[in-house]
Amino acid sequence: MEISAPVRRTTSWSLPLRRALADSPILGPLLTLIVIFVLCSTFVPNFLTLRSISGIISAATLTGTMAIGVTLLMIGGEFDLSVGALVAVAGYLYAFNTVDGGSPGIGLILAIGIPAALGALNGLILIVTRIPSFIITLGTRSIYRGLLWVLSTGALVQTLEDLPIYQLFNGRLEVLNQFAEGANFRTAILWLLGLVIVFQWILVRTDFGGHVFAVGGNPGAAKAQGVNVKLVKLMTFAIGGALAGFSGVLLFSQFKSVRVTTGAGMELSAIAAAVVGGTLLSGGSGSIWGSLIGVLLISTLRTGVVLLDLPFIPADNFEAVVGATIVGATILNKWLRSRG
Amino acid sequence: MDTSDTPVVFMQNIVKRFGTVTALDGVDFTVHPREVAALVGDNGAGKSTLIKILTGVHTPTGGQIYFEGSPVQIRSPQDARALGIETVYQDLALVDLMSITRNFFLGRELVGGIGLIRFLKLRRMDEQTRTSLSDIGIEVRAPTEKVEKLSGGERQSIAIGRALHFGAKLLILDEPTSALSVGETRKVLNYTLNAKERGLSVIFITHNIHHVYMVADRYTIIRHGKLVGNYLKSELTETDIADLITGVRES
Repeated sequence: MEISAPVRRTTSWSLPLRRALADSPILGPLLTLIVIFVLCSTFVPNFLTLRSISGIISAATLTGTMAIGVTLLMIGGEFDLSVGALVAVAGYLYAFNTVDGGSPGIGLILAIGIPAALGALNGLILIVTRIPSFIITLGTRSIYRGLLWVLSTGALVQTLEDLPIYQLFNGRLEVLNQFAEGANFRTAILWLLGLVIVFQWILVRTDFGGHVFAVGGNPGAAKAQGVNVKLVKLMTFAIGGALAGFSGVLLFSQFKSVRVTTGAGMELSAIAAAVVGGTLLSGGSGSIWGSLIGVLLISTLRTGVVLLDLPFIPADNFEAVVGATIVGATILNKWLRSRG
Repeated sequence: MDTSDTPVVFMQNIVKRFGTVTALDGVDFTVHPREVAALVGDNGAGKSTLIKILTGVHTPTGGQIYFEGSPVQIRSPQDARALGIETVYQDLALVDLMSITRNFFLGRELVGGIGLIRFLKLRRMDEQTRTSLSDIGIEVRAPTEKVEKLSGGERQSIAIGRALHFGAKLLILDEPTSALSVGETRKVLNYTLNAKERGLSVIFITHNIHHVYMVADRYTIIRHGKLVGNYLKSELTETDIADLITGVRES
């Protein structure tokens, strides 16, 4: 007698969900963020307050702005490790032109334009030498900071002034802050949100955006279809530099001080945020939304860990938590990607 | 096949050196209108180099290319494409992580715009991809599906459909069947004949004698960067071709 094996059916609700998880690069990271947020809200004292939530979001703006450019570069199959140094470069250029009189407009143009040019220089070296960008920018990140050291003579620049332009970029957002004492929403949140929307739109709705995916996913195929691979890569480096520069503007507007070491290590946080947000290290896939989620996830964990005040993970050992998150999120994203 | 017409492509005395290595040593190659011209040779014989010269990826060290009778300089893939030469590369055909539509229109996106703001006409691109592939007998589940989910044969067919859609005069297929199952190979061979029926000329590059024997009208055989010979289909048996490729028999 033959009995056919029962056909294993996937229940009707789980299939669309699995498809969605596999197709949408940000659903996984978003679920992770929600789970972590709920866990923190439940178990961490004083977590679920406007004060700490505003802190989480505001702390994410600087790395978040940088992460937009870093994500674009990574989707295009490249890295720029010098963006942390470019934050300091921008900070000085902006500071020199705003502190003690000066022209904030010129400061802003220089603080975005020079890092954009230095980013493009990384891209140019890549195009000419064909050395992996990881290696090139490992070098230029030290070179740029070294030049900055020479030009600034290593001096800390700070101010106590409160110029309108500082307010514009990183002032307190009183519209929201009035709702809770100690809340610290900043105007930088709006700038970050605007940039995320614009660059996500560019990525998915323009031919340039499509070409970024193509040069990261299969540069040979992109070239064969007539995409100017070199120009696209150069553009992503320039954009990455410009956004790092803008991140420096936001930073100085908030802290009103900059030193040669400012922004050190930020590039790694930005890469971590992109990876946690579902962007592939190998290029060809990712999203700006995902990186925003990644930055928020890391920022949430930081606040959670600080507030928990565990004896074995003090605030200073927070990097270990980020490390674990990166590994965990990458495993999760890979698993989600393989389904559907 | 109509040999009295001007050849679509005539590559004359093509030489290509990479440093001290001579990859091609004075090769002639002709493709006539409405024929499937097979370019056969063993691995490393110089097939790919010859084709990359025709498609603008490599610049020849010497020789002249005529397209529809006129001498041309093909300096980039864009130049080749502007002439109506479309290539389906074995490994460089599609970007796996992108959708069928995005691959279909890659480098030739439909762009609308208001002033300086330019954006993709995504819906129209999806529609055109579906109808255009459907016209030549390729049904896709959804044009928004990622290419990585497709089989090798489906990928080849989409790349061929793309070339037909964009009005190719000459379709170059680089090892189109090398990684395919028997069933999928048959489909790709059918698309090849389909393209010929639509009036295109096809260059079919392969080292699989059996596949090429089913579709080719003419063979050009190269070995070690040199031309072995040009033959009409009726002149050779499958065994003859094999002998000529490997050099068991001299022309």
